[in-house]
Amino acid sequence: MRNDAAQVTGEGWRPWLVGAGVALVAFWSLFPIYWTLKASFMDESAIIMGVAHNAGGYTFDNYLRVLGLSSSDSIFGGQTKAIMTGFVNSALVALPAAAAGTAIATLAGYVLGRFEFPFKGPLLYVLLASRTLPPIALLIPYYVFFAAIGLAGSLFGLWIVYLTAVIPLLSWVLMGYFASLPVEIERAARMDGCTRWQMLRHVTLPMALPGIAAAFIIAFLVGWNDLLFAIVLTGGTSAQTLSASLLGLSPLMPGFRADLGLFAAASMLAALPPLALAMLFQRFITNLNIVDPVTSNTD
Amino acid sequence: MNTASLTPARPALARRGGKEMSDLGFAMTVIVAVYALNTLIIGVPLGYSFWLSLHDTNAILRTEEFVGTDLYGEVLADPAVIDAIWRSLGFVAMCVAGSFAAALGISLVLNEEMPLRGLVRGLALLPWAMSQVVTATVFSFLLNPSFGALTGLLAPLGLANAATVWLSSDWALFWVALAFVWHVAPLGSFFYLAALQTIPRDLYRAARVDGAGPVSRFRHITLPHLKHTTLIVLVVMTVEAVRQFDLLFSLTRGGPGTSTQILPLLIFRYNFEFSKYGLASAAAFLLTVLSLLLATAYFMLIRKKRPQGDSHAK
Repeated sequence: MRNDAAQVTGEGWRPWLVGAGVALVAFWSLFPIYWTLKASFMDESAIIMGVAHNAGGYTFDNYLRVLGLSSSDSIFGGQTKAIMTGFVNSALVALPAAAAGTAIATLAGYVLGRFEFPFKGPLLYVLLASRTLPPIALLIPYYVFFAAIGLAGSLFGLWIVYLTAVIPLLSWVLMGYFASLPVEIERAARMDGCTRWQMLRHVTLPMALPGIAAAFIIAFLVGWNDLLFAIVLTGGTSAQTLSASLLGLSPLMPGFRADLGLFAAASMLAALPPLALAMLFQRFITNLNIVDPVTSNTD
Repeated sequence: MNTASLTPARPALARRGGKEMSDLGFAMTVIVAVYALNTLIIGVPLGYSFWLSLHDTNAILRTEEFVGTDLYGEVLADPAVIDAIWRSLGFVAMCVAGSFAAALGISLVLNEEMPLRGLVRGLALLPWAMSQVVTATVFSFLLNPSFGALTGLLAPLGLANAATVWLSSDWALFWVALAFVWHVAPLGSFFYLAALQTIPRDLYRAARVDGAGPVSRFRHITLPHLKHTTLIVLVVMTVEAVRQFDLLFSLTRGGPGTSTQILPLLIFRYNFEFSKYGLASAAAFLLTVLSLLLATAYFMLIRKKRPQGDSHAK
């Protein structure tokens, strides 16, 4: 349709402009990743000589070292082991936090999106306010709490902290999502004699699955990508998560000779699960309309 | 708000036998349970943080002494805090302006018809999906003075000195803001994309028939439709920039010197490097109040119905 219109009004340049725009967006989004990806396949000495030239050819050694499969690694054995443990720990905390958070937020989002009840306005405000809290404001009391009751350095403690971020965010997002789903199907199910739980299980949940899946992924990203809570509550312990371990390899850390190739490879491996999920579920995530659930369907 | 219209059949549903919970009963049960949980895991720690901010704690003697609002006065008199606040303001301004522009630009491209649009949208989403720690890695490789892309680009042009200047501490805050923009812009672009998709295609067609060029179509149709979303994007980006910690901590740790030490990083140092819990809590509480103000602005924006005339206004 657009092409016809373009021909009519003589806007033959339009596809070229769009093409240039796509190229620009792709460059902006991908070039920074590409640069580190390239470095991750290079030898340490070749990186220092300049990533652009790459005098030394490509190697898988950095990745093999992260995975503990290379014999050439001696100094960084501890750090690479921390990366692998970090992978496991991050999965062990991010997946359950996402599961519990999504389950609770699905219920809350459904009720907030479907029903009117007293004090709904103030309750929504509280939800939004908890979503915008600076993490550092929650970290300090949790740090003192956990030190006192022995939950510091435990994945369970971190799990609780992630719920504080995930529940308000996803309740908000899913509220908008449920409000955008047609209520008529649910109403018909009730008319046909379904109990509320039957309706929720057999009608509402299947209908809302794409949104719930996207919410689950967002929740997973919150836990998987977090650094602040992870480094304070698990840094240096056996429960240390991936972000904290990665930072341990950073050239920025004082008193430590960094290995740039190893750092690049570990970072790329750490980014792999989020990147894959974002690519696979792009459509669901985009359709969630995170921004404006309350007014999104008033048009 | 159209939730009321979603359950007009409530009386009909309620008539079905008295055994089952009413809509209201069901809603209230869920709400009370969820908000009780939120109070426990968010409200109580916040309250405790406020209590800490009113007490001078001694980490070694493990004593707490009530000092009222003294610590708030101390925070606001501390030049390091004032510096951090100014730096935060600069950082937030750059982040918000940059991510607004990038988000709008990206969304305009992604809204066009094109082959493989899903793939392109997925690629544009990648910087947002990556953690801020990895974003920091990526930018440290881009900006490294000896092997980074910027140096690699400028050195052959004979601008190696320019690269040194740009990567000095004077520019550090700019580069971390750029990294932030790169990371967060996709989120804003999806807000815009949702808004762009609600603009009726007919408007553009009619404007074309009337002989409006692409620029005036953008000015008179697209932009007015995006006004509401823009306000929301600005608030959301401000919230994100004010909360910002991970990226700066892993990219610069507040350095070089204190050139990128914004408020959350300073609070972190107070608490975890100097063990000044009360002082850190007081500063954190000030930050919380700021974020509450932002939340209020955000809330008023979305509760305010999109003005009917908005979409057709000049």
